[in-house]
Formats: sequence, structure tokens, C-alpha cells
Amino acid sequence: MQHTLNLRALVAHPRNGGLRWIEPAENADLLDPVDIPLHDVALVTSVEELPSHGPAEAVGPGAPGPVGSLVVFTQPPPAEPWEADALLRRVKSRGHVALAFKEPADLGAGTLAVARRLGLHVLGSGAPLALARAAWELQGNQDALTLGYVRKVAQSVEYHADHVQDLLRHLAASVGHGVALVDREGVLLEAGQHLSPDLHAALCSDAWTQAAQAGDTSGASVRVESPSREGLRLVFFDGGLAGAQLSALAVAAEMAMPAVAARLLIDEVASVNNASIDSGLIRDFLEQPGGPDSDVRRRMHERGWRTSGVHLGFRIQGLSRLTPLELLRSVSRETGAWDVDTHVSTAGLGVIGWLTFPEPPSSRELERHTGALRELHRTLRRSFNVSTGVGTPEAGAEGLASSLDAAGEAARVAAHRERGGYFLRIDALGLEQLLLSRTRNDIFLPAARSLLQPLIEAGGELLPTLGAYLDHESSTAATAHALGFHRNTVSTRIERIKDLLGLDLADPDTRLAVHLALRALQD
Amino acid sequence: MLARGFSWLGAGGGGNTLTLELILGQRRPWPLQVHGVHELDPDTPAVAVGYAGSTYLMTERLPDAALFAPLLAAAERWTGTPARAVCSMEGGGMNGLTPLLLAPELALIDADFTGRALPRFDQMTMFVDEVPGLLACVSTGAGGVCVIEASRSADVESLVRAAVVCAGGVGPVLIAGFTVGQLTDHAITGGMERALTLGRVDLGGPPLEVAASVGGRYVGGGRVESVTAGVADPYTSSALMAGDDGAVLRLVSHTEFLAVQRDGEAVASAPEVIVCIDPSSNEILEVHGIHPARRVEIFALPAPAWWSAAPHRLRHVTPAAYGVRGLDQDGGSCSTP
Repeated sequence: MQHTLNLRALVAHPRNGGLRWIEPAENADLLDPVDIPLHDVALVTSVEELPSHGPAEAVGPGAPGPVGSLVVFTQPPPAEPWEADALLRRVKSRGHVALAFKEPADLGAGTLAVARRLGLHVLGSGAPLALARAAWELQGNQDALTLGYVRKVAQSVEYHADHVQDLLRHLAASVGHGVALVDREGVLLEAGQHLSPDLHAALCSDAWTQAAQAGDTSGASVRVESPSREGLRLVFFDGGLAGAQLSALAVAAEMAMPAVAARLLIDEVASVNNASIDSGLIRDFLEQPGGPDSDVRRRMHERGWRTSGVHLGFRIQGLSRLTPLELLRSVSRETGAWDVDTHVSTAGLGVIGWLTFPEPPSSRELERHTGALRELHRTLRRSFNVSTGVGTPEAGAEGLASSLDAAGEAARVAAHRERGGYFLRIDALGLEQLLLSRTRNDIFLPAARSLLQPLIEAGGELLPTLGAYLDHESSTAATAHALGFHRNTVSTRIERIKDLLGLDLADPDTRLAVHLALRALQD
Repeated sequence: MLARGFSWLGAGGGGNTLTLELILGQRRPWPLQVHGVHELDPDTPAVAVGYAGSTYLMTERLPDAALFAPLLAAAERWTGTPARAVCSMEGGGMNGLTPLLLAPELALIDADFTGRALPRFDQMTMFVDEVPGLLACVSTGAGGVCVIEASRSADVESLVRAAVVCAGGVGPVLIAGFTVGQLTDHAITGGMERALTLGRVDLGGPPLEVAASVGGRYVGGGRVESVTAGVADPYTSSALMAGDDGAVLRLVSHTEFLAVQRDGEAVASAPEVIVCIDPSSNEILEVHGIHPARRVEIFALPAPAWWSAAPHRLRHVTPAAYGVRGLDQDGGSCSTP
């Protein structure tokens, strides 16, 4: 005999009239994790209607237990304890395994002890008719079960949701099971219940719909067809769900999926819009050299940006093509958990942001936050090719601007420092590096190249010689020693260089320009 | 011995026999002769006596033969013939002994109207069988007597009860208007003999042996965990007991013990005589003697055959007759939640 119905599935059914375990109690060891198969469900209004099921039958070796029916009484238990005892006894002796009363099903200790002695499961339901209907649905009336879920999905879409999380909450509340949005990495959002990692792993696949079980919980997932995000799945899950419920939930998930996908898109547009407003504001702010004007101040105030306090700017810059919004999302997810006021916005091919401290941070505190930024950078590097620069902590609106400037500078320098893991703090930056960073741009490099072009054409050896000569304060002896040449060789070469360049290397300005051009080309 | 036997038949009610036992011991010219119903002329006019009302009050209002004199006189005036014989109206508890107050002036007959303790007049055999011409005389206190001649037994019950309340909660009652011959069919005979046999049983032995010697069953023993009053009728109570063998025992009582449930199944119920004994003192317990932490052994004595001889008789004495549902054994009405 095929037993499609079991007590756990019935308890997990969202429209069972609030069915609850009374005996054994909800978390008793006795309950876990055995299924209690049911032969049938009998709805009775009085004991005279109690059907006889004959003696409880066992179903094959390894069967979880005797199979009988669930008797659903449309009334609360008898008030007198002996009547309740007698009723339990009668239900048991007619071959039934479980008994559900209409709430309030308050049973005394003696009656509960009798239930224990008899091995009878006793439950309570606020709506016995709903319970009977739930059983009927589970017993093979798949369409009714599915329609019930689908209707609930439709009802939840009706309510206003502020964002995807809100929508999931509505779905969870109305369907009566846990809802989660997952990708292969993990759970992105969940509502109602917590999705275990085991079930998450079991539910992730490329299939359109997928049903799976892990331990006591099971769920059904569907691929989310979203143009903006790939690899997402929408999951309905709960403990004790039976096969019939899972396939019905898979349909419900299919019905809910478009709403979730649409909501994701709406959220996306909203966040793009938000980011572009932020980004524009930052640009306006940074482009005003004497500090923000009243209009910019007002807009900053409106967006909750405080310029008072001490700010630590940081800049995360793409080293190759990337989508700033995706980067912003990843950054926001991390910074959202920090215990400090943080703002982030897209800026150019990257993200700009700052931490605000009401009081100047101690060096220890500063180290901690810089460490967090370094950790953020490391996390980001797994998905994005970026460099990160961190400015110095500075106070006020002007301080914010200069800290952000410095961070931008540091990020530019860091882009060339594989050694430093493409991460740099401005106060750890050598002056020379700072100077050099100024030279590494599109204007200076061609100029440097054209300045030194005669030396390049005359053969490669003249450039290192000139470099060493300038590095050693124009000393022929020191240069010769450093290069391992004879002094005369160095002198000859220097004379030749002067000729080729047509420059007076005794002039400090000229010497500096040539030195910088050399460094820029060498680097 | 006789008193102890009537305690058995009191089934937890019927009142404590001790006071009457002491009074009878001092005042009666022992030994008293007891007559079987067939030993007397069937036409002998007889009366049945007993106390009605609160048995608890009997500890301060001592029973006295003189209290029955106005009732006897009233009955004689009404029936026109003086009574020559006396029997008990209730064959359990202290009323089993009450007719002894009137012996040997009246011939003492071994017969009664219940065969055990029962709380109501409409449960008495004579009224159950609707014997015509019955008369109830009740003291209303301060020397007054109320004579009731009613054809409906329920009326007798409520009128006697009203008179007893008038008398202050407890008082003597006398039933007249029948002869010794009618006792053969409409009363339970041999109660005194049964009480005497029960009274001789040694309670010190193992419960199963005790059960065998009283001709009854050992239902179970255990420790009382709680006693709760009924929801519908606070005079009904149920004692939850942890059975010695792990079973859940429930002892349901009204004025007497009505039924015993083992794991929800009624294993003994009225009119079976349910007797509770405290094994530490061998005391035969009354309903109010069942309290938490007390160890109790429960026995069931078969009901007098008179009750089960006809369905209309049985209906008057099952737990359902006390308004307590769900406890009748085979054939009784079932409970509905």
C-alpha cells in the first residue's frame, strides 16, 4: 500500500489550522526523525462516528511503525479528564495512531501520560476542517495543493514590497515556508527560516526546477531568469515536507520567480540611479577647491553625508574593465558590517568612499580600520582586478576632499605595485614615489621619451650611465665605482650625453627634469 | 466485623460506621437475632430505616433510636398498621447498621434497598421497581415529620432532600408501606451476611490473596499524584495515580467511588463495589481519604446480582446515573467529546 500521507508532512503543511504537537511534545526525542505514515484521516464530530481501522498494521521490514489513521475531532477534548482518557483509549483500540483535537486542546498531565502509555500521537489544530482539507490535498489531490500555494504566491505579490528582501518576507509569510534567494556561493537573502548549507548545496543545480532533501528539511528551487544577475535560484523550504508538497512548491516557486526577477531589476535600477546621484555629488564636491558651496552642502546633507568629524578616504580603482556598480555592491556588502560610519559611491572606473569618525581616531583604531580596508581589498581582488589606495585621516570638509584626493593618488601608485598587492596607504608612500606618480601620465611620458630619444637612438648603454651619474650627485668617481667602469669611460660618456641632448646638466632644473624623465622611462 | 464489612460495601461513601458501632455496642442487648426474609410471615408490615444527608454531620449529631419514634408513629397513622419488622434502606456504610437501633423491638431482617452505598432515594430497589404504596417519613427537625407518598421516585428524592435540608443537613428517614414478602423480589437480601463475611477478611495479606478472600478483584495499586474536582459537577472528582506497574490509574468518585480507569480503559465501574485500602494502615478509605502522596490499593467486589437482573435496574447505578460519562463498561452509554 502506498502511504502518501504522513504526520510530519501534515504538520509542515501551512494551512493545517495551526496544527501542533501536544504529545509527544514538539521537540521530544521520540519525534525525531521518524516519519509517521498515516493510512487515512477521519474527521469526526463525536466518538460514535469513530471509524474502526482494525488492529494497527506494520508495513514491511524496517517500517517506521504501525500505520493507522489520524482522527480529527471537530471539538476540543472533553473537559473531564476521565472522559479524555477514555476517548484516547477508544481511538487507540480502534487502530488509529494519532488524534487531533480542536483547540484549545488543554490536556492534563494524566491524559498526556495515558497518551504516552498508549503510544498515541496527540495534536491540536485551531481549524479541524482546514486540517482535514490539508490531509486531503496531501493524499493525492496535487492540483488543489498546488493551487493553494499558487494562490498564496499571488496574494503576497499584491502587497507593497520595498525591495527584494521585503518581497521574500511577504512570500514566506503567505506561503508558510522559508524562502531564500541563493547562488552557488551561498544564501544571498532568506526570509521565514534559515536555509542550512547542506540543503543549499543539494538545491543548487542548473536544472530549471530542483527538489532536494537534506536531513530533516527539504525544499524546491527554480532558476531565476534575471537579465541583470546570473546563477540565482529561488528556494522554498521547510522541515518535514513530503514529495507532494515539494512538487507543489516547485510550481509555486515557478510562479513567484518572475516577480522576484522583476523586483531584482527594479532594485537594480534604483541602485544605479542612487549610485549615479552619489557619484555626481562626489564629483561636484571634489571639484570645488575652496570647500563645498551651499548647494553642494545641502545635497550632501540630504544624503546623510556629514563633513564634520575626521575622514579617512579610500579609492578602489579598476585596473582593467569592470562594472563599477558590481564593484560598489561588493564593497557596500562588506562595509555595511563595519562599526563605523561609511559612505561609498562609484567614481570613474571604480569606487570612492570614506570612513567618518566623530573624534580623531587613535592610531590603534586607525590601524584596525586600515586593516579592514586591506581585507576588503583582498576580498575584492578575488573577483575584480583593482588597486586600492587609502588616504590620511583629515578633519572637516576640506580634509575629506584632501583625504579622498590622497587616496586617489595612492590608488594610482598602487596600480603599479604588484609587490604591495596593489594596495597602498598614502602615509606609507615615499616622496619619490609620490613624485613619480605625478610623472606617470599621458602627457609626461611622451615628453620624457622625446627628451631622451637621442640617447635611446645612440645605443642602450647611455641611459643607465646617465641614471647612475644623476643618482650619484653628478660625481664621476662614484658613478664609475657603481657601474664598475673606469672614471674616464664615465667622463667620456657624460660628455657624449651632454652633446647628444644639447642640455646643460649643471642647471638644477634641467638636471631634475632629465632625472624624472629617466625614472619614468625606466619604471 | 459487621461494621467493617459494611465499610467494604460503602465503596468510599455511606459514612463512617464508627460512631454507630460504639453506640450500638453500649445500648443494645447483644446478641441480636437476624431473620432471613423467608423466616417471617410474608404479610408482616415492615419498615426500612437509615440516615440521609451529610454523613459528616453525623459525627456531631449522634444517631439515636428515639429519633425514629415519631417517624414510626407517623407511618403507623398513615398505613393504619404498626410495623413489626425493620430492615436497612442502604446496605453499605453506617446505614447498614442503622436498623440495629430498632432491634429487637422490631424484628431485624437481613435485607436492604441497595446492596452497597448509594446516594439517592430513586436508586433504591423499591423505588427502581416502582413498588406501589410506598411511604417515606422524614424528620424535619424540632420534632416535625414530613410524610411523602409519591409515585415518582425522583419526587421522593427531591422531597426527602428538602426535608433533610430543613432538618439541618442530616436526619433519620423511614420508608414504610411494604411487607416482608415484598422484600424477596424488590430488595437485596443477605447483605448482613455478606458484610459479616467481608468483615472477617484479614487485610494484611498480599492484595491478590485479599481479593480472593473477599470474592472480588484486585484492580491495582499506586500512589495518588493529584486529586481534581470535575468541571461539570464539583462533587465529582478524579484522582490520578501512578500505578505500581507503570500504568496510569484514574479513580473517579462522586459520593462513592464510581470507576477506575487503567490507561484510559474503565477496568471497574459502579455498580461494582470499588473499595480503596491504605495498605500501611489497612484502613478502608472513604472518598475524602484519597489525597496526594497516599498509597492506595483498589479492589472491586461484584455488584449484587439484583442490579444486573434487568436493564432498567442497571441504568440507575452505572456511573452515567451520577452524570459521569465515559466510564461505563460494556453496554453503558459512551462518552462524546
